[in-house]
Amino acid sequence: MSPKRRLFQLGLGRPGSRRTVDWEIEHHLAEQTDILVGEGWDPEAAREEAERRFGSLPRHRRQLVGMERRRRVVRRSVEWKEAVGSMFVHAARSIVRSPGLAAAVVIMLGLGIGVNTVMFGVIDRLLLKPPAHVEDADEVRRILVHGTLFGGERTIPALTYPDVEDLRSIPEFASVGAVSSAQEQTLGRGPDAMRVKAARATFDFFTTLGVTPRLGRFFAQDDDQIGAEATLVMSEEYWNRAFGGDVGILGRTVEINGNPFTVIGIAPRGFTGMDLTPVDVWLAALPAEFIRRGSDSFLTARGSYWLASVVRMADGASSEVAESKATALHLGGRADRIEEGRFNPETYVLTAPLIQARGPTASSTSRTALWLGGVSLIVLLIACANVANLLLTQASRKRQETAVRLSLGSSRPRLVGEMILGGFLLSSLGGLAALALTHAGGRVVQTLLPDVLWSGTMVSGRTIGITLLLTIAASLLAGLGPAIQSTRPDLAKELKEGGREGTHRRSRIRTTLTVAQAAMSVVLLVGAGLFLQSLKEVRSLDLGLDTDRLILAILETHGEELEAPERNLLYEDAMSRVAGMPGVAGVAVTDVPFQWYMRTNLRLPGVDSLPIPRGVGPLYYSVTPEYLNVLGLELIRGRTIEETDQDGTPLVAVVNETMARAFWPESDALGECFYFNGGESCTRVVGVVENSSVGDIDGSQWLTYYLPIAQTGFGAQGMYIRAEDDVDRVAASIAPTLRSFSPQIRYADIEPLHETLAPQSRSWTMGATLFSVLGLLALLVATVGLYSILAFDVLQRTREIGIRTALGAERSRVLKGVMADGGRIAVLGCLLGLMVAFLAAPFLEPLLFNVQGRDPWVLSGVGLVILAVASLSSLPPALRATRVDPVVALKEE
Amino acid sequence: MTGPSLNPVSGTLELLILRTLGTGSELHGFAILEWIKRSTEGELIVEDGALYHALHRMEKRGLIGSEWGVSEKGRRARYYRISKAGKGVLAEEEERWSRYVEAVAKIAPCDAEG
Repeated sequence: MSPKRRLFQLGLGRPGSRRTVDWEIEHHLAEQTDILVGEGWDPEAAREEAERRFGSLPRHRRQLVGMERRRRVVRRSVEWKEAVGSMFVHAARSIVRSPGLAAAVVIMLGLGIGVNTVMFGVIDRLLLKPPAHVEDADEVRRILVHGTLFGGERTIPALTYPDVEDLRSIPEFASVGAVSSAQEQTLGRGPDAMRVKAARATFDFFTTLGVTPRLGRFFAQDDDQIGAEATLVMSEEYWNRAFGGDVGILGRTVEINGNPFTVIGIAPRGFTGMDLTPVDVWLAALPAEFIRRGSDSFLTARGSYWLASVVRMADGASSEVAESKATALHLGGRADRIEEGRFNPETYVLTAPLIQARGPTASSTSRTALWLGGVSLIVLLIACANVANLLLTQASRKRQETAVRLSLGSSRPRLVGEMILGGFLLSSLGGLAALALTHAGGRVVQTLLPDVLWSGTMVSGRTIGITLLLTIAASLLAGLGPAIQSTRPDLAKELKEGGREGTHRRSRIRTTLTVAQAAMSVVLLVGAGLFLQSLKEVRSLDLGLDTDRLILAILETHGEELEAPERNLLYEDAMSRVAGMPGVAGVAVTDVPFQWYMRTNLRLPGVDSLPIPRGVGPLYYSVTPEYLNVLGLELIRGRTIEETDQDGTPLVAVVNETMARAFWPESDALGECFYFNGGESCTRVVGVVENSSVGDIDGSQWLTYYLPIAQTGFGAQGMYIRAEDDVDRVAASIAPTLRSFSPQIRYADIEPLHETLAPQSRSWTMGATLFSVLGLLALLVATVGLYSILAFDVLQRTREIGIRTALGAERSRVLKGVMADGGRIAVLGCLLGLMVAFLAAPFLEPLLFNVQGRDPWVLSGVGLVILAVASLSSLPPALRATRVDPVVALKEE
Repeated sequence: MTGPSLNPVSGTLELLILRTLGTGSELHGFAILEWIKRSTEGELIVEDGALYHALHRMEKRGLIGSEWGVSEKGRRARYYRISKAGKGVLAEEEERWSRYVEAVAKIAPCDAEG
């Protein structure tokens, strides 16, 4: 053998290129010098001779260093490729070797990543992306008004037409457009008539958003004038649905609620204006509004808030300046009413982001969606924890193999790399599964949000990107811990002992992971419970009204609005015609129909100011005697309004519970009186009814009172019809009568209340559905996690259990031991989770309905469920432990 | 199969290096040079530095491998050994040489044997 000894066992690193060459040349010169000295040379001369014989030292050195460097680069890349290749092979092989584990991991990661991608799709639509086809959306802002409106303090996007004109005069706005909310109207007539969602849009609405028509043109200023031919623009979706995409539609006339409109253009696919709600047709605002009202008073009167405005900021314009100018104009236009104390002078105009969910008028749906986004991240964490657990289990099974490979010289980084790579392969499969889930689950979620126009599948470039990111994050999260733990240096001990130590100690990481999973599922289940409870509250509340039985009919007449007595006669006529129809249980008329809010001044005798906060009413309703009965409001005490309460008889009122408590906390309110609307005589309370909503699901606590319409003399505005059973059928059967019984009738809007209300309970429906799905998912994953850790323990402890059994331990004690093990994990996780839920409750509360964030029923219920599920999942491993045959267990030795 | 072959210009030196290492011994650069000088009886005249160029080139082509070690004199030295590919090339070249020598012998019969 060669006489050399290895140098780098001494712990020195490999030398760099330059040093390698220097060392080698130095060695050569030293040897040569030795020989020359041996031949009798003087040492210094010998060294010089050696250098001379070597040739030009600097040149050789430079060239050799260059060669060495190039050689290293090549070698390194070859080595790297080889290492990665073999890591891949190893990783893939270990997946194929345990297909059950691989399937579990893929499913769990697929679910975990998939729910996140779906929620990202929702959040992306609601919060991240501006409405489709809006150009430079950052420069577009919506106009909001904050003030005392509709009986309370609110921020709403509603303006009158003169307010929009005012905005157009502000130079900070490069462009101003406005649009009404979309309402159901009838397109066509006879058997071909269809309901369409129609919005009225000003000529500058489309130009402000910067959208270009798919076909034809949008409104010109000349189209948006009273007296101009009425025109409309269709959405591409509606055009395809109703007219098969027929280009010949342009220039044709269609009827909207019986009035002719000429089709002039088609808006591009996906365009929904400033909101995300689908719109079928946009009508030129002024002609349409003129037709609707039969008068042009809305051009100058600031009483009807029917427009939402959107503006494009001028270059470099300050929105603060624009807002203060708009506020000044807004208040200036109402100077007389402010003077009379009928308009809150603190009202102000503000601008907000075009994306509604980012502004002060964000819907609870979008806020719930954000929560759900956070929740789905927790699900992913649980899934990762579980996958980590499974991989750890697998790694412990492979401990011996790993130990052998380590001692045979496989480097630890390489083994870690192999495990991470294996994890990455698995999570890539999980990512693919996630995309499939996104496609399918996205569709379901989209149906929960019908107010948003979705463009097909949720799988898009953006969601694929997120899936990729999450996949990488998840594979690192799930793979790194197990990889590092299972290649720890003390594996040498493992190798020696052959994994046969008498007692098995479960790794602390795995216990912690399982506890964490249990805790996180508790949190999610609590969330699900709270939303379910809210939804139940919403449903059982029935708003105080029997919304499932009620139909609201609003009669619209030709020409100018009728005076109050004429209107009341018209409604009386309608009542008498509908009352006898089959399926109709009752009919009542009011001057304040559903989702209207009316308040007026009210004074208690001997009291200067009323002890009521802003924004809770009191709201008044002038009604016919049957009203409370038809709406299903229960009388608590006293009497209801009767036929005998007529103009001229003593003034009476029925108040709701909240009002009775607020105004007359000391008495039962009956017999008390108040002055209504500046009247001379005191209106006496004759009855108290249960609370009910005024149209918002949230509003049931408002102070409310009911007066005989015969005594107030206010004009009727709507009619409630109570159906005996099938409300939709009754609504359909009364419609022809109500739309034709009088020549004065232009149109009757007839809608079952449950349809009117559906959008309002949507955020709870979505919250309850998705929270439940995610919570159950989390529970399932955590259950599998607990089961697998216990099952694996029992497997590891087979020998120990065998010995114990052989020594006479009773099987029931073995069973109890394993069960207690699972129980400890579950209890710990449960306590931890309940603690987190308890702390997080106040933040979730605003999204709930009539439910405390710390609802004791929900908290204790979830705790019980978790413990029950934990016992169930520890039972099979525990039973298996009792079946350990001592002989077999010991033979395995 | 066309494996790594010898550079025609420096071919002689490389072939000599392969032969030196061909017995399977591990040698440092100076020892290789001494061996070559001795076996060619001083006929091969190159700068000492050129040897290292050849060694590094051959290592890059995978004909030889190297490793650091400590020499019997206690010095830090880089040891070279022949690789599998190097052995193959060595066998091929030796075969070619012997054919070449045979051919030359046919043209110019050697009187010493005659």
